[in-house]
Amino acid sequence: MSEQEYYVPHGTYWPIIGSIGIATLFVGLANQMHGVEWGSSVMVLGLGITIFMMFGWLGQVVNESVNGYYNDQVDRSFRWGMSWFIFSEVMFFAAFFGALFYARTLSVPWLGGADNNVFTPELWNGFSATWQEIAFKTPGAVLQSGVEVSVPVKLVDTWGLPALNTALLLLSGVTLTLAHHAIRSEKRNQVIGWLVATIALGVAFLGFQVMEYAHAYDDGLKMTSGIYGSTFYMLTGFHGFHVTVGALMLIVILYRVQKGHFDPKNHFGFEGVAWYWHFVDVVWLGLFIFVYWL
Amino acid sequence: MVEVLIVVMIVAIVAALGFSLIGLLKGGDKGSDKMFKSLVTRITLSIILFGVVMVSGFMGWISPNINMIDKQIVVSDK
Repeated sequence: MSEQEYYVPHGTYWPIIGSIGIATLFVGLANQMHGVEWGSSVMVLGLGITIFMMFGWLGQVVNESVNGYYNDQVDRSFRWGMSWFIFSEVMFFAAFFGALFYARTLSVPWLGGADNNVFTPELWNGFSATWQEIAFKTPGAVLQSGVEVSVPVKLVDTWGLPALNTALLLLSGVTLTLAHHAIRSEKRNQVIGWLVATIALGVAFLGFQVMEYAHAYDDGLKMTSGIYGSTFYMLTGFHGFHVTVGALMLIVILYRVQKGHFDPKNHFGFEGVAWYWHFVDVVWLGLFIFVYWL
Repeated sequence: MVEVLIVVMIVAIVAALGFSLIGLLKGGDKGSDKMFKSLVTRITLSIILFGVVMVSGFMGWISPNINMIDKQIVVSDK
């Protein structure tokens, strides 16, 4: 296709299949959450249709790219599309970090009477304005307010799994950068090796995150454990979901590298996924520092 | 003081990530170079920041949030 020619996408049935898949998925999910018998089956069906759509649609785009149907203009449209997607992701996490900041720094101290102490006795006798406070369910110690609670001192052990997970993700950033360098130097075997290492580190991160959740849940920290529980699970949970998606994307890129789809000049698919992984890495670093330390 | 350093480093990391995004958006040889170099900067800064946080915690210059429980809340253990 010539550079001057404006690219007009051909007709495709994938968007409507995707819409049907996602709608089915959420109808199933909503009904499953309401305890309806057929909810789970419909949800699985919707998930299956969505995955089928992703394989079909993305596979078609990859084939078109490999067969040289795309020109510079299409390349630019991919880059802009990726940038807007990233912008939405940044805003998504900014909202949750904002909620964390607001709850911890502003609303909890206010409710605890940091300003004029007018409202606290009216709200709940025995209310204690403490970050992580609601996490402690089992009797064992007494708060200043006289409420009996347990205090698992190492409930969210900053030095243990969170630090290990941070090191793992940072290391995955290093291995991915090495893969990036290798793809620019046309060393395909090295790209494959470093990508496999990156994926393995991502999977290890997810495994440790599951252990961390099991530990926190056992100690009574749940989504319902007040504002700390909500923000903790929303931030770390959505981050874990993004690591999962990032790892799947890296697996697809690994497959494409093996197929020889990229060269040193033309590897936008790799660049997009690499940036996404670095972004997820930075989000975790922010989480580690603001949730566990500062 | 260490907290300020940590926040400044986080801002620098986010800025490096932002520059790499601009490189991604531009494309071509120049854009690709800019993206790669910015990502190298961002991972280097991130590793240094992790080291700073770990050393600061170990030295007691900063404390994990969890310490609040012992210091401010618990009056007595049964």
